[in-house]
Amino acid sequence: MNIQDLLSASRVKFDLQASTKLEAINELIDILDADGKLSDKEQYKAAVLHRETEFSTGIGMGIAIPHAKDASVKEAALTLGISKQGLDYEALDGTAAHLFFLIAVPADSNDVHLKLLSYISRKLMHQEVRDSLLSAKSYDDVLAAFKD
Amino acid sequence: MKLLAITSCPTGIAHTYMAAEALQMAAKAMGLEMKVETRGSVGVENEITMEDIKEAHAIIIAADTNVDRDRFQSLTIIETNVQAAIKNPKALIEQAANSQKSVATINTPEQHKPTKTGAYKHLMNGVSHMIPLVAAGGLIIALSFIFGIEAFKEKGTLAAALMDIGGGAAFALMVPVLSGFIAYSIADRPGLVPGLVGGMLASQLGAGFLGGIIAGFCAGYIALWLKNTIKLPKSLEGLKPVLIIPFFATLLIGLLMVYVIGTPVKALMDIMTVTLKGMSSANAGFLGLILGAMMAFDMGGPINKVAYTFGVGLLASNVFEPMAAIMAAGMTPPLGLALATFIAKKKFTPEEQESGKAASVMGLAFITEGAIPFAAADPVRVIPSLMAGSAVAGALSMIFNCALRAPHGGIFVLLIPNAVSNLGMYIVAIAAGTIVTAIMISILKKDLPSDTTAKL
Repeated sequence: MNIQDLLSASRVKFDLQASTKLEAINELIDILDADGKLSDKEQYKAAVLHRETEFSTGIGMGIAIPHAKDASVKEAALTLGISKQGLDYEALDGTAAHLFFLIAVPADSNDVHLKLLSYISRKLMHQEVRDSLLSAKSYDDVLAAFKD
Repeated sequence: MKLLAITSCPTGIAHTYMAAEALQMAAKAMGLEMKVETRGSVGVENEITMEDIKEAHAIIIAADTNVDRDRFQSLTIIETNVQAAIKNPKALIEQAANSQKSVATINTPEQHKPTKTGAYKHLMNGVSHMIPLVAAGGLIIALSFIFGIEAFKEKGTLAAALMDIGGGAAFALMVPVLSGFIAYSIADRPGLVPGLVGGMLASQLGAGFLGGIIAGFCAGYIALWLKNTIKLPKSLEGLKPVLIIPFFATLLIGLLMVYVIGTPVKALMDIMTVTLKGMSSANAGFLGLILGAMMAFDMGGPINKVAYTFGVGLLASNVFEPMAAIMAAGMTPPLGLALATFIAKKKFTPEEQESGKAASVMGLAFITEGAIPFAAADPVRVIPSLMAGSAVAGALSMIFNCALRAPHGGIFVLLIPNAVSNLGMYIVAIAAGTIVTAIMISILKKDLPSDTTAKL
């Protein structure tokens, strides 16, 4: 299991079109669904939105990590969207969000995926990782950003 | 200066780890030592130990879930949510570092040890997961007896199905679940599989619930040891909890059970069988006493099985008295405990009091296993009490010359005309044993510490 499996090239979008939080979530879920990772798109979306009501996953530093652990997910998957102009994601620090990681985890996910997600989450806290992601032009650049 | 932190969020996928990383980075930048325990969906990682608590100055609990604070009474606790730790870790660390270290309560961690941590905590984790299984299985078996005590022998009937569900499935899971959740408590998720398998082997090898407790502790510590010893490159680290630890720990506990536990258990059973046969002609009351004590010693374990098999074997030779003693002695452990939960409520958790009600039904149905959760939770006090009551019931049954023609059924067989001879005195024997057990438990068992009452 490595990052390529969890975040395939088909699920990285460098020019996210959305201009609102809801649009961003919809756009990311569309990518995820088109890639065949969901058995019930609406159910998954409801779970993601429900999670947002607890508190916004716009964690600040330009990052948002909408996520849900739900039975409608066939297989653990990440979807990355990058928005050059940025958008208001009700972030903790009030700044615009540029990096969007949509995290989908099945109800019975195994430790391998969860460990990898925790590894990626930790990485995102580092300024240099965020900077490399923001300036990424290709899928290889994205992978390189997460390298040790 | 050393600081501690716990991070935990509802989904346990991302925020927990982001907060942990944010705190660690900020502490590093400020030149402070910081240990962060993460409680995510992978389980608890980097767990805070008693040593850490002793050395630490303060703890930051950044959690949106419930975190038990009792362990940290000696520390200044800074409570907040995960977002705050992600957003402004530096402010939290400054607050923690500048806090006054409370000196007065510095020794409390030691005082907390006996009830909250260590072996007792692991054992109780196994027992509390086993209780509903015993209750459900036992009551389903009892249901099957309603159709007649031999009804389950007729294949395809509902009574047979009930026996398969209760006896064949639920009770078969009892020891594995006990063992599995002891190991889970010790080693977290990687401990579960070796614990379950070790418990299953204990069950199959006839080592009973005492064997299961041994299996659970061995499996747990093996898994924990492997978890701490095996070092892998980061890319393979994910395989550890799902493949590497379960494989090696299961292999080790399995071999240990088969070769180290299984062989002596079988030898012990052989010796006891021979000894019992030699005692057939001994004083009837004494034989009843021994059979009774054996029935209650391990309830379904090797010693119980030897006594029970001995009684069933004698039925074929038209000797019915020992069987009566054995059944009486097998009914009193759950009955005695049920009575004890009633007369000494203070000494049992609410969960145990509930399970006492199920135990009374199981006792009436001669399902001795109903007493196992109580015995497993506090073997040193409970098992001798059970043995004393069962020994009394067994001895009295023999002295009163009671005879029983069926090897099971409990109260259901008592209702059948002529199945039991000297029925009135038989009931007296069972009642006497029940009362002895209940009184002994009420005296021996300590009152619950007030804080565990609410916990279970």
